[in-house]
Amino acid sequence: MTTFDSDEAAHVHRHLHSHLPSDPALRVRTLESLVVDKGLVTTQDLDSWIELYAGQVGPHRGAEVVARSWLDPEFRARLLADAAGAVRDLGYHGHATGHLKAVENTDTQHNLVVCTLCSCYPFALLGMSPAWYKSAAYRARAVREPRKVLAEFGVELPEGVAVRVWDSTAELRYLVVPQRPAGTEGMDLAGLTALVTRNSMIGTDRDLKAPA
Amino acid sequence: MDGIHDLGGMEGFGAIDTDAPPFRHDWERRMWAIAKNTGAPDWTLDWWRHMVERMQPATYLSVSYFEKWCLNYLTGFVTSGLFTLEDVARGTTPRTQAPPDPSGVDGALQRLRDNERFFDLDSPDPARFAAGAPVRTKSHIAARHTRLPRYARGCRGEVIAHHGAHVFPDLSAQGIHVGQHLYTVAFAARDLWGEAADPRDSVTLDLWDSYLDPA
Repeated sequence: MTTFDSDEAAHVHRHLHSHLPSDPALRVRTLESLVVDKGLVTTQDLDSWIELYAGQVGPHRGAEVVARSWLDPEFRARLLADAAGAVRDLGYHGHATGHLKAVENTDTQHNLVVCTLCSCYPFALLGMSPAWYKSAAYRARAVREPRKVLAEFGVELPEGVAVRVWDSTAELRYLVVPQRPAGTEGMDLAGLTALVTRNSMIGTDRDLKAPA
Repeated sequence: MDGIHDLGGMEGFGAIDTDAPPFRHDWERRMWAIAKNTGAPDWTLDWWRHMVERMQPATYLSVSYFEKWCLNYLTGFVTSGLFTLEDVARGTTPRTQAPPDPSGVDGALQRLRDNERFFDLDSPDPARFAAGAPVRTKSHIAARHTRLPRYARGCRGEVIAHHGAHVFPDLSAQGIHVGQHLYTVAFAARDLWGEAADPRDSVTLDLWDSYLDPA
């Protein structure tokens, strides 16, 4: 039974960090041995999970959602009204998409997503988050100096563009819907999907490129 | 709590490593798999977060993301009584349940979908605010776990959406499930950061009813 004893958790954290071997790979191997010994999971199922995240689950899912929203006005309306449902219709729902919200970039607004308190991210839709998203530097700076952060990612904003930073402090998760680049008229879903970068769906990329 | 995890607005961290990939090492991938396929049945998401918040501040900043997860899973399993500290030291524990039959990548995909969790939970209280309402956040927080960041306390903002009632994290971290109205509140960047901020910019937070007063 979980006691929810905050001070006990602090004590155990301190004990483990000072007593375990310092190599994180060994620490994870110890944890894996314990959960497999206990019968909580099998090594094969852990391998399958890794395979899932190496293939089927990744930012290409979100990219397809964005490309569909460019092609199909009805889908776009549904995505902006009920992103969780729109993603579920495609089978891309799961971990951390239950209360998904889509926020669209416009000529006058750029959206940027951060989780300053932990590392909230719509995993089932975008795959594992990039390391920088979880870094202290990004979490600290995105809310305070978003334009400097964007500049580090190479994003230059035109004069008339406001930045809105979404700090995901609850169980809502945010998907930025980037603008469709000019020169992509007539492209199909697969072609458009390939243009959508992971960072553009977090907000650290803005101007997507049409194929040369 | 005013913990080290509450990083929003802190200064001195320097440049962002914009090219860092999602995983650098195989053990990080394995940690992610362990995290999403194990756990104690009565953990709440907010208790899990609060345990991370109780890491020593220097440790929190010095270990990598997935090592934090590893330490937190071990801490969670020990404090919930699934393993002892001696089990962790030995690296083995007695089997107490039959492992599930391996289910392959299809099974993993199904578990991912089944993990679409919902946090809406009715509240007996009416919503106090609607979109457009001016609000001010509390200046002080009593709870050990809270989702009102330090940088947005005592600040004036405007409700831009009401999401119904969701599980209240301050109590969920203690294992108590109560619904409370949840809002998205927009703050002008200058109201948070002063004149240094760009007057065009804003920050939104998702905040529960008891974090707010009418303004």
